[in-house]
Amino acid sequence: MEIADELKIYDDNLVKELSNLARNNIEYWDIRTTLNNGTVLNFTNQRSKEISSYETLECGIRTFINGGWGFCVLKKIDKSNIIDGFLKAIKLARKSQSLCKFKFNIKESNPLNKKFKINSIRNLESIDIQDKIEIVKNHEDISSKYSKEIKNTRTVYLDGYFKNLFLNSFGSHIYQDLEVLRLFSAVYAQRKGLIQNAMNSVGGVGGFEIMETEAAQNISLKSAKQAIMLLDAKSPVGGKFNVIMDPKLTGTFIHEAFGHACEADIVLNKESILEDKIGKTVAIEEVNIIDDPTIGQGKKFNLPYELYGSYNVDDEGIPSQKTVIIEDGILRNFLHNIETASRMSIEPNGHGRANSSVAIPQVRMGFTYLEPKDWKLEEMIEDTKSGVLCEDFQYGYTDTTTGNFQFKCKFSYKIENGEKKELMRDVSLSGMTLEVLKRITAIGDKSTFNYSDGICGKGGQGVRVCDGGPFIRIEDITVGGLN
Amino acid sequence: MQNKSDVSNLASFALNIAEKLTAKFAEIYFYLSDYLNIDIEENSIKNNEIGSDLGVGIRVINQKGSLGFAYTNRLERKSIEKMVKTAISMMRTGTEDPDFKDLPPKYEVYKTVNGLYDKDIKYLSIEDSILYAEDLIDICDKDDMAISQSGNFSSSYNKTFIFNSNGLSIDSKTTISSVSSHVIVKDKITNDTSFGFESQIERNLNCINGKNVIKTALKNAKRNLNRKKINSIKAPLILTPKGVISFILRPLASAINAETFQYKRSFLVDRRGEYLGPKFLNIEDNALIDGAVGSATFDGEGVPCKNKRVIEKGKFLKSGLLHNSYTAGKEGIESSGNAARDSYSSLPAIGITNMILQSGNSSKDEIIQNVKEGILLDYTGDRPNISTGDFSGLILQGNLIRKGEILDALNETMFGINLLDVFRNIEEISKESKTYGPFQAPFVKIADVQIIGSAS
Repeated sequence: MEIADELKIYDDNLVKELSNLARNNIEYWDIRTTLNNGTVLNFTNQRSKEISSYETLECGIRTFINGGWGFCVLKKIDKSNIIDGFLKAIKLARKSQSLCKFKFNIKESNPLNKKFKINSIRNLESIDIQDKIEIVKNHEDISSKYSKEIKNTRTVYLDGYFKNLFLNSFGSHIYQDLEVLRLFSAVYAQRKGLIQNAMNSVGGVGGFEIMETEAAQNISLKSAKQAIMLLDAKSPVGGKFNVIMDPKLTGTFIHEAFGHACEADIVLNKESILEDKIGKTVAIEEVNIIDDPTIGQGKKFNLPYELYGSYNVDDEGIPSQKTVIIEDGILRNFLHNIETASRMSIEPNGHGRANSSVAIPQVRMGFTYLEPKDWKLEEMIEDTKSGVLCEDFQYGYTDTTTGNFQFKCKFSYKIENGEKKELMRDVSLSGMTLEVLKRITAIGDKSTFNYSDGICGKGGQGVRVCDGGPFIRIEDITVGGLN
Repeated sequence: MQNKSDVSNLASFALNIAEKLTAKFAEIYFYLSDYLNIDIEENSIKNNEIGSDLGVGIRVINQKGSLGFAYTNRLERKSIEKMVKTAISMMRTGTEDPDFKDLPPKYEVYKTVNGLYDKDIKYLSIEDSILYAEDLIDICDKDDMAISQSGNFSSSYNKTFIFNSNGLSIDSKTTISSVSSHVIVKDKITNDTSFGFESQIERNLNCINGKNVIKTALKNAKRNLNRKKINSIKAPLILTPKGVISFILRPLASAINAETFQYKRSFLVDRRGEYLGPKFLNIEDNALIDGAVGSATFDGEGVPCKNKRVIEKGKFLKSGLLHNSYTAGKEGIESSGNAARDSYSSLPAIGITNMILQSGNSSKDEIIQNVKEGILLDYTGDRPNISTGDFSGLILQGNLIRKGEILDALNETMFGINLLDVFRNIEEISKESKTYGPFQAPFVKIADVQIIGSAS
């Protein structure tokens, strides 16, 4: 695999020179440089609102000594700028080091010399813009013509191809050639004064073949159907209920309410409810929670591409790997970057991620999920006298310090005497994470397992993630409504 | 890009290519930001960062209104030529859009707004910046309930240049500096923990007061300790300025965005000219306040900025929408100067400048003292549904008020209301107000809100 011309600047001589500059001054450094290319297509009401394309070249230089970090972002990438930026970054790290209270060293890891390429079937660079536009137009056509009550449609197509070079002081030299794609469909329906909307997205790491999957082809129809369905939905009544969550909500719960509290930087900053809980029981025995961002999982879901939250190596050069977070109800591991792993004296597990080369890697999730057990969905519903079945989420958030969480669901059905009844909209669920993990009364089987993808925000950076699980039932959840 | 004539030359170079390649309208936007950032984690300086972002974006539009856009951060002529050609090929694939009328004309006059640039920020060193971060750390260290703090100090110097095919050519330099604190406290007796946050954003460095920021964050955090569940009640809601911003002003900003409006995605559609709230309710979007964070002489398309009243004496004005040149052209009116663009990498969207809910007559203490039973709301992570105005969400930071006193923090307490009822039920507005970045708000009392408690 040939390295992009723009990244050939980092030859042996330059790396040697940087190593010499670092010697006796700092303990660790890494440089990430990326050539980004991509397309944005935004159609609204069947008209193009944005057809755009970009090319940027970005570089961030990170330095470290004894607990203090420095970071320098370059605006122009040539040899003299790199050296100048490197020297500035050294000064910044030494300044941080002189003031920081927590002294530690980054544990040296084995250098990785490797090139990774996503083996897409239809390379994004080779796809004509007209082909991309045809797909978006077609989706706009489908959703806007679905019903007279549909007043507004929007379809957004985003793709990007990245050529990224990672170098660090351990001798790692990692080149990645990546492609990602996401399609987003939003539909607004109106009946008299009432407006309801539905949004769906499909994303993955891979090429244009992502557009040919069933999920991508049905996305606009799905949004249209959902928006119309919601026009008939009732406002919910607040109170405490048995709640059955679908895989998307289970995933959101696992990610938002629990996953963030497992990020070791949150733990070290004393913001996590899980601070002293390693080795302790935090959930019922049936609960197993995993984060597995490794490449190769798309085929588990019969997809011709890789999951949106997956990656080969993280942004600190550590290979992605499967991490068991909860095993049989017991908290086993946190998620780490090289800093938190060094400070907690364990091996890093590949969760140092940044949204670009000009942002600092943080501890982030990849594909977080709850493992399935043995309930069928029908059994779960039949077994529920009174409750709510909640599907799909709009958004959610959590106070990681207390574990108080809230999610807004898209669709919710009343359950009465074991039967699924009328549809409600805008149901919000709230509870305390650690209480809820002990109040799970049923976990669905393999056939109910699914996942969803999205962008997760933390500290101003959004990264690609997936989360999932089976249907689960939880007792005594607070449901908020307008009435 | 320090030299204006260099930028001008690059702009003419690009606009000429665009014209030759049949773009009827073209606009080029250059943006430079030099920034620094100091991160605090575990109440200790953790990271020092400096950086620079420089790039250019071009939008081209043909006779039929079809638009193409491209951007790059590579400023060599070769890259710029490639960018223009890409934008043209994007334009050629788009659909026609009869709603597009024109790019902004060349304006003769722009109003002067002072205090948007501070040379102390432009020339600020890391060493001097660290003093601001240390203010946060010192006060947190000395507090015996504080157990951790994350926060940051950051500043940036920004330059913008806009040129278009109508002869518009304008540039500005501005500065911005901010400090924020997110602090964790622990009650040593009950072992309960809680967080509080506070931030300040300013155009001028000497306005930044890190000590006040951490002190307020600590106060917020302590007020939120030892949370209790309550029963469901119907009661007044007292919003703090922060509460007003997140619960009223931010949603309103989305609801009066002309694009949202034209697509009928706003709960305020068909309500222009109606009285939404009491006579003492006034909301405006004012770009011309000296030294304010949201102020500007021109917007993201080079259109002069102004002061716009949105709600006057309770009435939602017909002219109360925020426009860029596209949405204004569609209605056959002038842009309100609200084209928002925070980088060369995006097309002009629509955004607020300084959004202000004007102060009232009551004192905030009196408002609270007169509440028999009610809720003080500082923060909900939730947001209303803009198309319906419906809101139901969790009170993340809020307290019970009883007999005029602020009591227990609330645990697992939600509330639900429609925004139209929020405006309708405004009973009192305080004299005291606070500014957070581009928002300014007082305390506001809203009557009869359904609170959903979880005490069993």
